[in-house]
Amino acid sequence: MVDFLIGLFLATLITALFTSRLYRLLFWYSLNSLTLGLLALVIGARLDDRAMLLTGAVTILLKALAIPYVLKVLSRRFGLSRQTPPGIKTQYAIMLVPAILVFTFYLAEPISHMVQGNANYVAISISSLFLSLLLMIEHRNVAPKIVGFLSMENALFLLGTTATGGMPMLVELGIFFDLLMAIVVINLLLYREEAEL
Amino acid sequence: MMLFFLLLPPLLMFVASFSRSPWARRLLPISSFAVLIPVALLFRLPKPYELWGRYLVADDLNTYILLLSSIVGIGVTLALLTLDRHVKISTKALYRFYRFFGLFWIGLSLSILANHMGIYWIGLEMATLSTVYMIKTNRSAAAHKEAWNYMIVGAIAISLILFGIILIYAASKPILGEQAMLFDALLIKAREIPSPFLFEMGFAIAALGMFVKMGFFPMNLWLAHIERASFYPVAALFSGILESGVMAGFFRFSRIAERVNYDHLFFFVFAYTLLTIFIVSFLIFRAKDFMRLFSLSGIEHMALIALFWVSGGSFAALLHFGAHAFLKPALFLSTGVLESTGRYHFAGALRGYTGLRGKLFWFLVGLFMLAIVSIPPSPMFFSELYGFAAMIDDAKHSRHLLAMLGAIALLLVLLSVIFYRFVAIYQSMKYEGEAEPKKVYSSEVLALAIFAVGLVALLLPSSTAFLKGIG
Repeated sequence: MVDFLIGLFLATLITALFTSRLYRLLFWYSLNSLTLGLLALVIGARLDDRAMLLTGAVTILLKALAIPYVLKVLSRRFGLSRQTPPGIKTQYAIMLVPAILVFTFYLAEPISHMVQGNANYVAISISSLFLSLLLMIEHRNVAPKIVGFLSMENALFLLGTTATGGMPMLVELGIFFDLLMAIVVINLLLYREEAEL
Repeated sequence: MMLFFLLLPPLLMFVASFSRSPWARRLLPISSFAVLIPVALLFRLPKPYELWGRYLVADDLNTYILLLSSIVGIGVTLALLTLDRHVKISTKALYRFYRFFGLFWIGLSLSILANHMGIYWIGLEMATLSTVYMIKTNRSAAAHKEAWNYMIVGAIAISLILFGIILIYAASKPILGEQAMLFDALLIKAREIPSPFLFEMGFAIAALGMFVKMGFFPMNLWLAHIERASFYPVAALFSGILESGVMAGFFRFSRIAERVNYDHLFFFVFAYTLLTIFIVSFLIFRAKDFMRLFSLSGIEHMALIALFWVSGGSFAALLHFGAHAFLKPALFLSTGVLESTGRYHFAGALRGYTGLRGKLFWFLVGLFMLAIVSIPPSPMFFSELYGFAAMIDDAKHSRHLLAMLGAIALLLVLLSVIFYRFVAIYQSMKYEGEAEPKKVYSSEVLALAIFAVGLVALLLPSSTAFLKGIG
């Protein structure tokens, strides 16, 4: 089940990289967050870790439902372009994504025996981080950059869950708080953008 | 209770920002001054002093950094009183600036006092996000672009720090459990970490994030452009509080990394800072406006602090750190007046001042300009002497003596380039150009005077004894 969810997490992120429509991008982000939340719930249930169960539930509520919804509302309110063509052509991105995956598996190889649990999960977390960075870099529009930033948070969350067996609850809550603050700041930035137009 | 009093001034600032009364704004410098009371009390309490369990612990190092950042906070609050007289800003935007300044200050106070890697990161992230809006207060296209740039690159830097923290936590959790998040617990058990490679990888990634945040290679111009595009108090906050918060984390992480493998730590930081100073010195040579000049000089100083710290010159690093925390915000705040007759005019910037306030202003700014390039009796002169002595001492014990001495000589050459440029600019400011009249306000002179008193206080025997005790 964990393998399936991690695979799905990676697949949704890769699909988001090739998406050229804003709402579709938000949908893939939402699905990406949902798999992350479910993953935390599954691992939390297996380890009988109540903090991780709570984190998983908050992830689903906040990242899979609330944030994509708020971003959709904001994009409508400020009339953001719904066409978000990636800057890197699909044929090159198809080569780049596997290259990143292979590179991160190679990078994570020396630490494979040092982490608790499955080392492949760590490799996938690191590759997700790089793919999120790629999502931020390859788009000129603001909205996909925001989604890239949020996906990066997801990748770090995955790393925290898989490499350490869960970060302390205090840290998880702090990250959620910062995420909410990021949305407020993004709203303000967009608001100003509209005011200037 | 102590924590509440420490956070009260920024909290008051946050609350006052919702009021439209001009009195609220005028009272803020007084409430900011009040932060010195709990900080002074903190100095007298036995250390380590637990402010919030083991999560927030005050020791000599972070109390010192907290004092520096509090004084910068006071100076910036004073300078903000006249921001709308130097730049075009709406009342609404100004109050919103105060709101985010309050959040920024809270975030960094938490980061500075944190004994917990997670809280350190949360505070830093909070400060980063609040800065984005402070940059955007300037309603120009350049500021808008730079606010997004800061949001994106800042987010990448902060993510690198969290990434590093997770790896460090993963490396230490087998022996420390959830306590692997605590700096003091990690420091005690540093030599027993079962996977040092994983720890070092985490440290390197976290340090890279911190370096990017401070504008080190390859992001030198990124920070300079952002500071150029935003209003001048943002740059003062960056150099005086944000960089102090980031550096506080670097001090803590590097102390642990030092026990894991000192050679790796030293060569990583040495190579990185040398590369940064190499690039920055040439950028300073070509700088054509005050903001970029001070910003790039700030990067050079932060690189020197990191270098002195890992070379074993902790006294030099802390003295340099204190001097930088006072000098750089003072210079950034003075740009409001210096640039009042044109952004890109060095020539004549120190001329045209009349009255006591004006004369005091140019005198203090002139002193700060010369003090920043370590002309004695600037604290930076002494810190660099001690710092280079520590580096040479370190080189003597190294297996690569000649390479180390060569690198130190290169560093001195680069610092000479910066010295030459600053002295040339000072001469241009004082002796060239037209003497155009400039308006200086009392609050600005008071802010500069506070920084000047702080600089003098750093050289007092009791202060130097305290700093030597921290190392």
